[in-house]
Amino acid sequence: MSSLASSTRSVVRFGRTPRITRHLRKDRRTQLPIPHVPILTREFAPCRFQDHYHTTLADNAMYMTYIHEPGPRPPPRQIRLTYDPNDPYTKNRYNPPVGGSQLGKKPPPPSRPDNVVRLEKISIHSMQKEALASKSNLLGLIMALRTITGESYKAGGRHTAEGIQIVRGKKSVGGWIRPGVPVGVKVDLKGQAMYDFLGTLVEFVLPRLRDFQGVPLPPQSSSVNSPSAVSGVVSFGLPPAAMGLFPQIEVNLDAYPKQYGMHIHFVTNATGDRLICIMI
Amino acid sequence: MLARNVLTSCRRQQAVAFPLSRSLATEVSSDPSSSAAVPPIRTKRLPRPQITAAVILNRAPIITPTPTLFERAYYAYQARIRRALHNPFPLDFYFKQGSLLETKFNMEEKKRERRAFGPKFKTEDEFVSKEKAAADKAAADQLALQEGEAEPLMPRVHEADGNRDYHSLDRKGKRNIYLLLQTKVDGKDIWRFPQGGVEKGELLHQAAQRDLYAECGENMDTWIVSRNPVGVYKEAPLDTSTPEPNPEKITFFYKAHIMAGQAKPNPATISDFAWLTKQEIETRVEKDYWEGVKDILSDF
Repeated sequence: MSSLASSTRSVVRFGRTPRITRHLRKDRRTQLPIPHVPILTREFAPCRFQDHYHTTLADNAMYMTYIHEPGPRPPPRQIRLTYDPNDPYTKNRYNPPVGGSQLGKKPPPPSRPDNVVRLEKISIHSMQKEALASKSNLLGLIMALRTITGESYKAGGRHTAEGIQIVRGKKSVGGWIRPGVPVGVKVDLKGQAMYDFLGTLVEFVLPRLRDFQGVPLPPQSSSVNSPSAVSGVVSFGLPPAAMGLFPQIEVNLDAYPKQYGMHIHFVTNATGDRLICIMI
Repeated sequence: MLARNVLTSCRRQQAVAFPLSRSLATEVSSDPSSSAAVPPIRTKRLPRPQITAAVILNRAPIITPTPTLFERAYYAYQARIRRALHNPFPLDFYFKQGSLLETKFNMEEKKRERRAFGPKFKTEDEFVSKEKAAADKAAADQLALQEGEAEPLMPRVHEADGNRDYHSLDRKGKRNIYLLLQTKVDGKDIWRFPQGGVEKGELLHQAAQRDLYAECGENMDTWIVSRNPVGVYKEAPLDTSTPEPNPEKITFFYKAHIMAGQAKPNPATISDFAWLTKQEIETRVEKDYWEGVKDILSDF
């Protein structure tokens, strides 16, 4: 097949510029033509870690989290009285749900091929205390995170790409924080950018990190209903020294005013007690 | 008061509508007529089934799959769009002005742009004297040599593939391969996964681990994925002519990964071993066995 293609025309080489047959409006400021269709960028290279997940890890995750259920689940037990919908007097009355935190109380959904545990996104955030004095102290951090993750606002024409976002204070704590003051930055990674970041992290940073103790899991003694036990999120932090180990930053570490630490959250789709740490 | 009355009436109705019941996994049918009609005949009880734990020892792919023609075209197109739309690269942030690294980067970037947008792209933008261009190229080549960039990459096809070396763990790098053993059963050579019996009081996954080491030697580092079996295979009864009923033979499969080492099967019982892909396994094992295991094996 490939020999046939190479004899006719290469699939990866640039052919020729398409002739523009339609009048394109021009940007008033830049005088550049505006395409009449939104142009999006998608995956531009095969992703090794994604392939690894699909060929190896997905099977393992399914085997490790599978819970056998012999039949369909019985309907949930109604522990609170409900108004009779057949009675015209109480027909449309609101049945208030059971109160209290339902966190971790509901059983996890039945194991199906479509809800095998997978990595949904990686969320990175970092707080910079000096930003309270002057918000320009955040610039170095923003630049470092942009370099590490490669994310920027509406990158590749995607309106969902939010890039590096500024985190502002919410509460007023005397001598520490005030509402509305920019104090940190965060970035959410999905898809290929997420796997690229994961690859950099596990191949360049973690092996070279001094006294890295591994990713901590919540202790066995912690409550099974605590948010950390049921949310399917694995979190850990990197010390400021780890920033210099990212190869994107290593090349010109002197260009950054200082080194920054960060918190990293691996958000999986696991719910209930099916928390699993997929470290590759 | 009225609402309370209504609610109690609701409760009463509900209690009638949904009688308290528990659904059990195994329900005992309590039909008195049938048990009364047929007196219990004392037949010979079937012997206890023979339970075996087998391990599907897997070597995960070690190289990425080769992209198809369509994938290559798609990736090239997307990379071109990305290159056309990307934000300007901050050269002065990453490189010192006029440094060797900057020269090298610029030369490589030009090459990449020509590859993406055709040979005529940006040919007449800036004029560099011939001597300077030659000196730059020599310096960049020198730098590349120092960093060992000229070293050839490993081939994607290992020599074990050419030699048909089924014992090698390096064969079929793009595929999942599985360990199969060849043994003699009733004077017939058969291929099967590593397996063994379960001792009394032993858990199934522990038996699987022990049997794997007993058959394939301690010279490897393995990890059994889960405590639950991933598949089950019931052997078809060999002959039903004998009056003595044969015990049922049930094999539970466990998935395991090999991390390091190599299988060294005991030559007394195992005549040969092979690391095989799913398609190769089909040609070697019995048809009945294949029907039992084919859904456990990976197509990739």
